[in-house]
Amino acid sequence: MLTNKIINILKNNARISVKDLAYMVNSSEAEVDNIIKKLEKEKQILQYVTIINDEKISEKAKIRAVIQLCVRPEKKDGFDAIAQKICKYANVVDHYLISGQFDFLIIVEGESLQEISSFVSEKLACLENVRNTATHFMLKKYKEKGVILENDAHETRLAVLL
Amino acid sequence: MRNDFSSVVDRIPPSGIRKFFDLVVNTKGVISLGVGESDFATPWGICEEAIESLEKGYTTYTSNRGHKECCKSITDYLKDRFGCDYKPNNEIVVTVGVSEGVDIVLRALLNPGDEILLPEPTYVCYAPLINLAGGKVVPIDTTDSGFMLDVDKLEQHITKKTKALILCSPNNPTGMVIPKEQLEKVAALAEKYDFWVISDEVYAEIVYDEDYVSFSTIKGMKERTVLLSGFSKAFAMTGWRLGYVCGPESIISRALKIHQYNIMCAPITSQFAAISALRHSEKYVKKMRESYCYRRNFFVKKLNDTGLDTMMPDGAFYCFPSISNTGYSSEEFAFKLLEEQKVAVVPGPVFGSGGEGYIRCCYATNLELLKEALLRIETFLKKQA
Repeated sequence: MLTNKIINILKNNARISVKDLAYMVNSSEAEVDNIIKKLEKEKQILQYVTIINDEKISEKAKIRAVIQLCVRPEKKDGFDAIAQKICKYANVVDHYLISGQFDFLIIVEGESLQEISSFVSEKLACLENVRNTATHFMLKKYKEKGVILENDAHETRLAVLL
Repeated sequence: MRNDFSSVVDRIPPSGIRKFFDLVVNTKGVISLGVGESDFATPWGICEEAIESLEKGYTTYTSNRGHKECCKSITDYLKDRFGCDYKPNNEIVVTVGVSEGVDIVLRALLNPGDEILLPEPTYVCYAPLINLAGGKVVPIDTTDSGFMLDVDKLEQHITKKTKALILCSPNNPTGMVIPKEQLEKVAALAEKYDFWVISDEVYAEIVYDEDYVSFSTIKGMKERTVLLSGFSKAFAMTGWRLGYVCGPESIISRALKIHQYNIMCAPITSQFAAISALRHSEKYVKKMRESYCYRRNFFVKKLNDTGLDTMMPDGAFYCFPSISNTGYSSEEFAFKLLEEQKVAVVPGPVFGSGGEGYIRCCYATNLELLKEALLRIETFLKKQA
């Protein structure tokens, strides 16, 4: 229960201090720290990442594409063996096994359209088990991990109300 | 030009802190802990169904009592969620917020001189509305008993003219929740002295550590309880202005008579939104409650660390710190804190007897702002020391 509370808070704010977190879940700093360390050690928490609004960053934004893949599963390992191979490519930032017409959905990232095109044609499509791919370049990001990027929500409440 | 207006209205004292409110609104860079509503927007699914109802052309009056489906959704929800037992066809009126509910119930109930027991501090609308309905407010100060209703003290205030008791649990401004054992003692008194209990349960969904007990579910109490609640707090729907009154047909039929002439019916769009809220919003309500709970834990403990003695509230999204050790009156404290540190709080006496020496803080604001407000309060207190 306490662990779930900590995970839920960290999911929305990974930068929160252990001290503040302890106050919020009504526990001691030492206990919260132990739980987080345990979660990290057991790889339940893998990494703390940041949601970035690329458009507001002066550096040239990366190009992203969603790629669907049809894959022939292997006899013994099913989809896992081929998935592990695909995951190893640095261009692949997300990778899911999905239901429906395609088997994998991956998100790839690169510096240019060419980089992604080359990656698809020279690496992904050439993999022995990959039968078919469909590449969709991302044009604009609106929402990531539950966060709306251009959120025009603002304080509309009256400053004092009984 | 004539200058004689309703003497009843004129007897209602003007809000003493209007000046303070104006100052808050006109000061830039204020962190406000003075709000009386959630920082969440209404869940989008609710808004969408309201929009859809407009697109379908539902822009008419509904029946006075409320749209049939809305009444049924509310009574079903009350049954499933709190075990309350009301019939949608004759034991409910859908109102424009809980405040209208308080008004029509009091007017349906009171004759001149009837007394209403009012444990204080409490929400601001009850006393003026009792006066407007011709009743007499009998305040019961709960400060000595940790803002919990002291049943012996309550009994001492009962007279032959006592018509009803108003309960507001979870309480605005203290956040205290009256436990079941205490409600049972109140019930025994209600039975013994034969008075009504008007139970404002608008914060029932925002109770943190225990299950909420509705007064109407205490044995034998349904027949003498008027349950008031609404959508503002639980579903973050303050601006939709939708509440409801449930109770025995005897009082509901009379309250409905008033509602029919002064309101006609609650806005149909809000009623459609309410139906959606009750059907699909359980997980959002839970998420909001969790979020308030984290912030309560954080804010109240930090306030105590800072040196303001604050009881841990069981519900709602307010806490009621004592500022008596600062040497200021509540109003002086609020003015100085605003002027020197630009933090807005509400002085306790606004909420009736026993409020002096306290301020109300709403912690339904984002964590970073709460932290900044705490820093400013700390700086303020250090300067005064």
